[in-house]
Parts: sequence; structure tokens; C-alpha cells
Amino acid sequence: MENTKNQIAKVMSLVFQVPIESITEDSSTDNIESWDSIKHLNLILALEEEFSITIPDEEAGNLVNYKLIEMIVNECKK
Amino acid sequence: MENLIYSEILQNNSALKDSIKGPVYKISVLSNVVVHSIKEILEYSLRIRQINPLVELGNYDNIVQDSLKCKDSHLVIVFFDMLNIVDVFFEDLSEEMYNSLKSKICTEIDTVLENLKDHPSVIFNTFSSHCFVSSYSQQSLIEKFVGQLNVYLEEKKGINVILLNIDKIFLQTGIRQAIDFRMYNSSKAPYTLLFFKKYTMAIEPIFLKNTGKSKKALIFDCDNTLWKGIVGEDGIDKLDMSRLSHSGRFFYKIQEIAVYLSKKGIIIGLCSKNNEFDVIEVLKNHSDMILKEEHIAVKRINWEDKAKNLISIAAELNIGLDSIVFVDDSSFEISLIQKQIPEIVSLQVPSALYEYPDFLLQNIYRYFSLKANAEDARKTEIYKQQSEREKEKQNYKTLEEYLSSLEIVLTISEGDIKQLERIAQLTQKTNQFNLTTKRYTETEILHIMNSDQEHVFSVFVKDKFGDNGLTAISILKTDRQNQKICNIDTFLMSCRIIGRNIEFVFMDYLVQWIASHNFASITSEYIPTAKNRQVQDFYESNGFILIENKEGHKNYRLEVSVYKPKNISYITTFISVIKR
Repeated sequence: MENTKNQIAKVMSLVFQVPIESITEDSSTDNIESWDSIKHLNLILALEEEFSITIPDEEAGNLVNYKLIEMIVNECKK
Repeated sequence: MENLIYSEILQNNSALKDSIKGPVYKISVLSNVVVHSIKEILEYSLRIRQINPLVELGNYDNIVQDSLKCKDSHLVIVFFDMLNIVDVFFEDLSEEMYNSLKSKICTEIDTVLENLKDHPSVIFNTFSSHCFVSSYSQQSLIEKFVGQLNVYLEEKKGINVILLNIDKIFLQTGIRQAIDFRMYNSSKAPYTLLFFKKYTMAIEPIFLKNTGKSKKALIFDCDNTLWKGIVGEDGIDKLDMSRLSHSGRFFYKIQEIAVYLSKKGIIIGLCSKNNEFDVIEVLKNHSDMILKEEHIAVKRINWEDKAKNLISIAAELNIGLDSIVFVDDSSFEISLIQKQIPEIVSLQVPSALYEYPDFLLQNIYRYFSLKANAEDARKTEIYKQQSEREKEKQNYKTLEEYLSSLEIVLTISEGDIKQLERIAQLTQKTNQFNLTTKRYTETEILHIMNSDQEHVFSVFVKDKFGDNGLTAISILKTDRQNQKICNIDTFLMSCRIIGRNIEFVFMDYLVQWIASHNFASITSEYIPTAKNRQVQDFYESNGFILIENKEGHKNYRLEVSVYKPKNISYITTFISVIKR
């Protein structure tokens, strides 16, 4: 589980081009300035490759903060 | 590249970001769909080839408008996808609608090609119908439509445009792996990451060629690389490269490929731990060998370590280590070279032999630029003459004596439009004897030739050992501020004619030409690169006065009236007048 958390933080920091230390459980579209619609697309593609999962279309729009990302990634990994 | 996941690419790309210096290579990507995920993948693929990229993405569905805005890019890529051209059910389209849609797209193609016609290099993806489901047995309307658009593109495109067959990428990945309809539906972003990775690999040879980084030499190990078996242990009779045998046929094919490449101007060489005599014996006398000594420009067959041998091969051929691709069956040798000389691309023969020929071919199309012109086809021969000249050199006491014995003849022409391709190629490939290292495409050279203020001079060189072909170039430009000043924009020579004082004869000619065209003075510059140190004092040795030296970048001036010609008597010069 810890590993998944770290991996998500790593992917977010790489996609949004922010330091990995700045990614917390409270990170969201509200406090990461570079998180725009294009970066959001890249985030989904990156997470899918990272965890070898497919995020369903109806969930893709919901990945707006760290906690939701973790929840949906874990859901998809099952 | 295709083995890396996106987060690794992002990570590696940002790690490399500050280490790649050098001139910026700007790429503009124009598209009628969203292609933003290509940016970092493309940047990374350039950075690992030591190119410093700037990738700019155009606006969504703005190909026509954006094609006006990329004047200063070195490369323009056009993604014109059928998905976003057709949003109705195409098969039921009336003839009238079909024709009006076709004429609309053709007009857009015309406008884009017109806007990009002076551009140095453009990649235009072909149209594809593979995103649309169709019958196996009948041509669908959309297939017909796409076919017509591609024919139209082919007819209308200029020499600066390369059509990239996107269907080949779809074929390799499968359409469902290449197109993500979910993302197309939500964000107009149809292409998957896998597609972009394959795509950047597909265009790699184009930007390598444009930046003078195409590979030049393919060096093979011998045992279990060119034939099955070990000559020193099994003996010549046990070696297998027969077209008719179970494993021999793959080596036969490798040899066929090597022979083909030698005709396409790729230098073929051998680097093998063996007794030289044994290998020569195989080359000369094994009846199944189709790769012969005449195809091989360079050999290192000895028991020294291969890193050392490859370095000495690069020195003999006068090419950079980053111009070499090395093939060997031994994982030990491959990892040795990868560790000691990472600039060399080293390829290990696949253990499944039936994969070997295709594996080699894929890498050849990836790293080499195969378009053949007359010069390339003769390259092996020219490199051989080079070694004969080197041998002859030892027979003469002074260099002058030796040079005069060569009976060198130069033929100089101005504005020789027939040589467009070769001239552009020389500006792209020449690194060592190149004062300014400015790269030009065919289109740019054509513009220079057509200008009254700018002149392209090309030099054919031959001697008693053979014809070196077109091997020196200079571009002169009238100063924009002062019509009495002529600037030497480019002065370069291929490395195969270095060391014969040809540069001085050429300079004598240029200054004489400049004087006869009523210029009072000449300006010139030396722009330092990692490879052109040997010419850093070239202008000094021709009597030019150094005006400014900014960190090695030197500017010169010469009054035409004070130039002292070298008048080298043992080189004969002909001036060829081009009728235009």
C-alpha cells in the first residue's frame, strides 16, 4: 500500500512538474497550479501505464485530488 | 524508448534537460486533434541523441492558421487526422457532400503546403482510414476518400515534405493499442502513449539526418554474426551461411543486407577477435560468402580489445564514434562497448536467429539515412582509394612531393542546381572541416542559389587514384548593410580530402571571384563546435585579420587588395560554367 502511495506521488510530481515533497494527501486541482486539462489527460495516461490499469471513462473526470486518485487506482487494481 | 513507461520518460527527460547544450532544434507540431502527450516523449528522444529540443504544440484544430506561425522552426510535424475531419457516418454521404468535403480538405492541404513551402523540413502524416470499421471484402467510401487524399498529398508536396505512413505504425501496434476512443471522446486526444513512442521512433531518422547525426558505419563481428560457427575452432568448412540451410539462411540474409548497404553509401567494416588470415580466407574462398572484401571498407581482425579497435576504426575513417553501429553475438563484447563507448550503438544478435535479419533492418532504418545519390554509392570505393593514398604517402619524402604526385584536379562550379541534394547533404554531415557548421536543407540551398545576393560554390575533386566527387562547398553572401562587403557564410570540406591543401586553392579562387565582382572586403567567422577545432586558425593562415574573439567564436575581415594567393602549382583547377 505504501508503495502505491509513493508511486502516485511520483507520477503526480513528474506530470505536474512539481517537487515530490510538495505532493501530500491534500494535493488537488485547487492547490497545484499546473494541473490543467492537458496535464490531467497526461496524468491519467501516466497512471494507467504505471499500474497497468485502465481507468474507466466515467471515473477519469473524478481524479481531482490525491485521495480520489488513490481510491480509484486501488479500485482498478482489484 | 518503447520499453519505458511514461513516468520514466518524464523522469529521464527532466534529468537530461540541463545537460544537453548546443544549438536549439525547434519542432512545431500542428494538429487537428489534441497531441500534447507527445511533447516530453519527443523531447526525450532528441535529448538521448544529444540534440537540444524546443517542442512547440500548435493550437487545437488550427493547422492552417499555425502553418503561418512556424517560420523559425527546424522541423514541422503535421497531424491531420481523419477522425476529426469526419463526424458523420461517412458511408451514406451523398456524392455532392463527398466532393465538397474533398475539395475543402484539398484546399486546406494546398494552403498548408503553400505556407510551409520555404520551410526546411516538414513531416506530414498520411491520412488513414483504419480508425473506421469497414468490410473485409469491399472498399468503403472512407477508404476511397483517404486514398484520394494521399494521392493528392503525394502530387502536391514539395521536396521539403516527407510523408510519414502512419498506417505502418497502426499495423505494428494494432489500432486498439494506438487509438484511445475514450480519450478522443472526452478530450479530442486520440493517440495512446504507445503510439507516440512508436511515432517518435519512426521519425528519429529524419531528425538525425537533419541535424547531421545519421550513423555512417556498420561494423560487424564475424563468428556467429556474419556466419554460424567459429572459424578458429570449427574451421572454414564447418561455417554455415548457406541460403539453403536451417540457420545459415539468416546469416546469408545478413550478408545480403550488408552488401546492399555498401551500395547505399553505408561503410561496412569488420571488428573480430580472430586470426586475420583465417577471416580473409573465408572472405576470399568460402563459396557461400556473398559479402566480399570489395564491400568492406575497414577491418580490425586481431586479439586486441574491441573498444580499442572501434576507436581506431573511427580514427581511420575520420568519423566520430557516434557515427558507428556495432553488431556482435557476444553479450560480453556488447556490454563492454556499451560501458566504454556509449556513443556507439551496439546491437546484440538475437538468440532466436529467425529474428536477426528483421532486427538488423529495423535498426538500420532507425539510425541510417539511406537515400542514395551518386556520391554515396561510391563511398566504399572512395574509402579504399583513401587507404591506397595513405600507403603512397610513405614513399615520398616531403608532403609537397607527395601531393604533387597525386595529380589533383579541382572543378569548381557556382549555382550547380543538379547537385542540390549533395550540397545540402554536405552541409548536414560535415563536422570537422567546417568553419561555421550551418546546416541547410535542399529547399534552403535552392533559395540561396536563386538569390542574386547569395552564391553557392561547389568543388569536385579527383586525383590519379580516383574521383572523390563533390567534396567542398562555400556559400558567399553580400552584406545587407554594405554592398561592398562579401561574407563567407559557409566554408567546408569533406574529411576525405583533408590534408591536401585543397582548401587553399579553393580560397584563392573564392577571393579572386570576390575581387572580380567588385567587393572591397570580405568578412568571415569561425564558430567553434565539439568537432571543428582543426580549423580554428584557418582564416589566420589565409591572412584574415581577427576583429573579435568571443569565447572562441571569431570574426574576421580581409581587404581584398591585400590578399596573398598561395598559388599552389601542383593542383589544377577548372572552372565549370553552369548554364541557367
